[in-house]
Order: sequence, then structure tokens, then C-alpha cells
Amino acid sequence: MISLSDFLIVSAGLFCIGLFVTLTKRNAIQILIGIELMLNAAILNLIAFGKYDRFTNSGQTFALFAIVLAAATTAVALAIILNVYKKYKTIDPDKTDQLKD
Amino acid sequence: MEDFLQHIDTLTINFALGAVIMPLLAAIVNRCLPANSKPSGWISTLAILVSAVLSIFVFAKVWNQHEVHQQQVWFTIGNTSVYTGILLNNLSVLMLVLVSLVALPVHIYSTAYMKDDDRYGRYFVYLSFFCFSMLALVVVDNLVLFYAFWELVGFSSYLLIGFWYTKPKAIIANKKAFIMNRIGDIGLLTAIAILFASYHTFDIEQLFGANGVVKSAAISSNWQYVACIGLFLAVAAKSAQFPLHTWLPDAMEGPTSISALIHAATMVAAGVFLLGRFYPVFTHDELTILAIIGCFTAFMAATIALTQNDLKRILAYSTISQLGYMVMAMGIGAYSSSLFHLATHAFFKCLLFLVAGIVIHEVQHMKDEYNLHIDPQNILYMGGLRKKMPLTFIASVVGGLALFGFPLTSGYLSKDGILIQSFEWAEGKDWLHKLIPIGALLTSWLTAFYIARLVIKVFFGEFKAAQFDPAIKLHVSDGKWQYRVPLVLLMGCSLFPLFSINPILYEKAWIFNGFSVITALDRVNIYHTILPLLVNLVGVIVMYWAYAIYIKEKALPLPESGFLFRFSYREWYFDKIYQKVIVLPVIALSKFTRWFDRNILDGFIHLLAKIGIGGSKIAEWCDRYLIDGFLHLLASITLGIGNFARRFQNGKVQYYLFSMLAIILAVFIFKILIY
Repeated sequence: MISLSDFLIVSAGLFCIGLFVTLTKRNAIQILIGIELMLNAAILNLIAFGKYDRFTNSGQTFALFAIVLAAATTAVALAIILNVYKKYKTIDPDKTDQLKD
Repeated sequence: MEDFLQHIDTLTINFALGAVIMPLLAAIVNRCLPANSKPSGWISTLAILVSAVLSIFVFAKVWNQHEVHQQQVWFTIGNTSVYTGILLNNLSVLMLVLVSLVALPVHIYSTAYMKDDDRYGRYFVYLSFFCFSMLALVVVDNLVLFYAFWELVGFSSYLLIGFWYTKPKAIIANKKAFIMNRIGDIGLLTAIAILFASYHTFDIEQLFGANGVVKSAAISSNWQYVACIGLFLAVAAKSAQFPLHTWLPDAMEGPTSISALIHAATMVAAGVFLLGRFYPVFTHDELTILAIIGCFTAFMAATIALTQNDLKRILAYSTISQLGYMVMAMGIGAYSSSLFHLATHAFFKCLLFLVAGIVIHEVQHMKDEYNLHIDPQNILYMGGLRKKMPLTFIASVVGGLALFGFPLTSGYLSKDGILIQSFEWAEGKDWLHKLIPIGALLTSWLTAFYIARLVIKVFFGEFKAAQFDPAIKLHVSDGKWQYRVPLVLLMGCSLFPLFSINPILYEKAWIFNGFSVITALDRVNIYHTILPLLVNLVGVIVMYWAYAIYIKEKALPLPESGFLFRFSYREWYFDKIYQKVIVLPVIALSKFTRWFDRNILDGFIHLLAKIGIGGSKIAEWCDRYLIDGFLHLLASITLGIGNFARRFQNGKVQYYLFSMLAIILAVFIFKILIY
């Protein structure tokens, strides 16, 4: 049987990978992927702890909400990246350091 | 009674005041005119003419009558009031009339003599100013004013000696005269101060008058000596007595008319006048010292005059010698003869100087005309002027004979008076005292020789300068009327009738009798006949001897290379000795004080300054490195913190994120470490 700690280890590994990707990549899309990975690590934790609430299944419910919200934020982020690219002709976050017109 | 007397005297006082003020007015007017203005000569002459007329009037009023003395309060300090006023007695009116009468011909003469000078007007400013000072000097009744005018005559003399200020010799001469007179002035000031301290008055009448306090109450003897030494210094400086006589021969660098008035007739006689004023101060022993010094001066100056070649220098030494006679006469108590000789000497010495001026003037013209390289004052280049300048020649003979004291001249009356009284004075005393009359007698024969030498070298024989250029034609003349009139006037005054009806007996002279009260010498009849005879017989022989030496070219009595000749020619080496003994040490002392001032005193000041600078440098270092350094340290710490914090705000999103991670990690690690 898969124990809770196995889930937590996988989740922690996912979070670390996501964090590493977010910090080191020079591409906004890849950073977005990193963020998704960290989000999924969190969702994985929600689900893993959800087995202690067998009656209302609030963990699973909250995970579903998080997935939907993550999809929505990803869409918004991609739109922003697209606009950033239009303006700066690059999506390297280090180079897009000017907010003014 | 007093009011009545004052009423009569007011006119006399006003006239005397007028006589004194006139030259001052002339000086002021001339000073306002340009330096070369031609009318100034006549302005000054007119002023002195008025002075002379007023003086004669005053003289007639006062001579041998009650003396006129008017004064008023000048200023008051504490309880002491100082009075100022005019004192007219026999002595002052004699001097008043003498000064203005001698000054008058000199003024007339000067109008011609200084004609070509660029500073003709300025010359008359000085001349009138001198006349004012001298006239005021003789009438003031107050020692403070006396001292002031004493200084002013010295000052105007200084101005006039250096009148040709482009000549270096004239500048040296006037400095010398000024400094030497300064020594005498210090003496006079000391004496006045001591007199005031002792008697609490400056009034000459109260001090030295008939009932003067000087006679009744003596000063303590030490202060009396100091006062007399001071007075003697004043006399010696002004009247060119040994040891302060060396300025007078050098003073001949001034215009000749000035030499005639100031350095022969009037100002140098001020010393003798001072003796006359202060006479009661001197004790018997001090008078003897005066006599010795006067006699020595007379003898020394006469020996120097024997060998000098400069026309004016001979006359200058002759003046010193005659002033020596006057001082000696004061010393032996022949008060009246001394003043009598002062009066006669003023006229004939002035005459001789005017003659010298004319001769020099003419020789200078010849020199300019023929381009000769001769000194126009050197008598060795002259000669034979007798035929061309008859009036000048006669004037010189009259002056010369009067100087020697030949019968029928005024000099005979005054000088033989001195000689006879000196023998009477020495009568019954030891041989040392006898040296004084013998010295005076010898001096009188020396006088005969040097004045004969002068007249013969200038007027007899051939014109010596002709040997340089045979083409020279001697065309000199007596000159204009401005030259002739003064000569005639002064010649008249150099003969006996002005002074005495009897040409033989000096005791009949009116000036002599004007002061006869003071004379108290026993009359020794035999001297009165033998001495004049002896003096004149030997004197005539000496004169002929001089004629024989210089015209018939007999051998000189002393070889020119001999020690005695050089001793005389070099003026007894006085200048050299003074140079070595006084001037050089004084200069060395002043150099030392300068060195002391510069190195020690200034050095100390500089040391203080350097210490100050050092202190401020330390303060500056502290300020810069400690105080500012602390502030800079604070600033750089702040800067470092700012720079450190700024690095986090670099606009890179990932970096912020990393920072957050790092901080959270740090917090966790910290938490773990603590628990």
C-alpha cells in the first residue's frame, strides 16, 4: 500500500523541481511550467491529505477548484507572455524589466 | 604808574613786534608765489628794510634807558602759568638792530647773486624765514620760546646750507650741521629743564634780570654743573666752538650770501648771545673753562686758516676763530667787549664774505667762458684782481684790516678791548692763566697772516689761472649796484665812527659802555698803551712778511710737506678723528642694534608666529582627519549599506523570488538551530 509519506516525498520533489525551474530558466513559458509543477505539488498534497476526510471529500473538491483556477491563471499568464513578447520581442524575464510605456 | 609806563611802552613793543613779523609776512607771501618768481627778492628786501627802520626806532627808545618788558599768560598747567612776551633791554635791542642792519645789505646783494637760480623765490622764503626766527630769538622773554626760535634758526640754516640740494657735498654738509646742532639743542633743553625745575619760571627777566632769582638762590651744585655743560654744548654747537666746530667750514656749501648772513654774522653769534642772556648762571670756575675753550678754539681755527686754499673755508675758520674770541671774552668777564666784538665782527665778516661772493661769482664766469677746469673758490688760481675790481679790493682790505684789528677800524676797538682785558684778567694769576692772553695775542698775529695771505693771493700778483690758457683776458668787474651798495654800506659800518668818536680807546665806544655795569676788571694802564702798539707793529710786520712770501716768492716758513703744514691743512685731523672715534662706532652701534632688532627681536616674533602656525597646522590636521574622518566614516557606512541594499532591487523577478526563498530558508534554519 502506498503510504502518505510517499505522496509527500513525491510532492516535495515536484515542488523542488518546480521551484528550481522557476528560478533558473530564462524563458517565461518554462517558468510558467515551473509554477504549474509547484501548483500540482500542492494539489497532490491536498489529495493525499484528503483520505482523512472520507465523508465530505473536501480535499478532492478543493483540488478540483485549484486545477480549474490553475488552468485559468495559465491562460491569463500565457496572454501576458504573448503581450510581453509583442512589446519586447523577447520573453526572457531578465530583460523585460521596464513597466512603463 | 604802571599803566602810564605801559602806555609809553606799547608803541615800542608794537614796533619791535612789527620788526619781527615783517620777514615772516614776506616769507609767507613768497611761499605762495611760484618757486622762481622774480618779485620775491624785492618783497623780502622791503620787509627787512621796514624791520631795520623799526629796529632802529626801538633801539633809540630803549638803549641805555629803562628796559621794556611786556608779557601775558600763554597757557596754564596746574598752578604754573607760562607767560609769553617781549623783553627789550640793551642786549636784545642791540641784537635786533644788528641782525636787521646786516640782513639788509645781504638781501640787496642776494637779489643779484641768486638772480640766475631756478629757485630764486624759494631762496627768499628761507632767507626771510631765517630773519624772522633770528629777530624773534633775540626779543623773546621766555625760555620755551627762546628754545623754539633757537631750533628755527638752526632749521633755516639747515635749509639754506642744503639749498643746492643736487650737490652731494651740500647735502652731507647740511646733515652734519643739523646733527651737530642737535647735540647743542639737547644741551640747551636740559639746561632749560633744570632751570625750570629749580626756579619754577621760564621768564628770562625773572631768572637773569637785575633782581633775578639765579643770582639770589643757587641751585645744588651737581645740577648746576649739568645745566652749564648743557649750555656750553648749546654755545659750542651754534657758535662752532671746539669740540663741535667742524660743521661750520662744511656749511660753506650754501650760497655765499647765506654764509655771510647766517654762518658769519648772525646765527653763529646766537651762541654768544645765549651766553649774554644766561650769563648769571655761570660760576667763576665755569667761566674760566669757557675762556680756555674759547681761546683754544680761536688759536686752533687761526692755525687751520693759515693753509687752507678754499676762499670761503679760510673765512669760515676765521669766523670760528673770532667766535672763539667772543666766548673767551665772556669767560674772562669782558662781557661788554664780547658783545661789542660780536657787533663789529658781524659787519666786517659779512663784508668779507660778500667780497668772497663777488670774487667767486666772477671767477666762475671766467671759468664758464674759457672752459677752465679750476675750482672757482680756490685762491691758488686767483690773483691780480685788484685792478679790475677796485671797490671789491678796497672792501676786502677794509674787512681784512678790521678782522685783524687795525687802528681806525671797528675791529681794533673791539678786539683790542678783548686782548687788553684778557691781560688784565690774567694779571696776578699763575702762568697757566697767562696762557690765555698769550694765546689770544698769538692768534691775533696768525689772523694778520692768513687774512694778508688771502688778500694777496686773490688781489695781488698775476691771474694764476692764465697759465692754463694764455689767451685768457681778465675781464672781471665789481658788478652791479646790488653788489656795490652792500659793500659800501658794510664798509662804512666796519670803520670806527659808527662805534666810537675816539678811534683809539675802546672804552669810549658806546656799545662797550652800554654793558659796562657787568665789567669789573681792574684797569692796568700799561696794557692799554703797550698792547695795541705791540699787536699792530708785529701785525704789520707779519703782513709784510706774507707779502714777501707770496709776491716776492721768498721761502715758505714751513715746508708744504712738513708735519705742521699738513696738520694745519688737514684741519687738525678733527674730521678724521671724529669719523673714527664717533661716527664709525655710532654706525657700528646702529648696525648692531639693527642686527639685534632684525635677528633677536624679530626672530622672537617670528618664533611666536611659527609656533602659532604650527599649532594651527595641528588643529587643521585634527579637523581634517579626526572630525571630518568620523563624519566620512559615517557617510561611507551609510553608503555601503545603501549599496548593499540596492543590489536586491535590480528589477529581476527571479532574483526576488530567490531572495524570498533564501530568507525563508534562513528563517527555517534559524528556527531549527534555536530549538
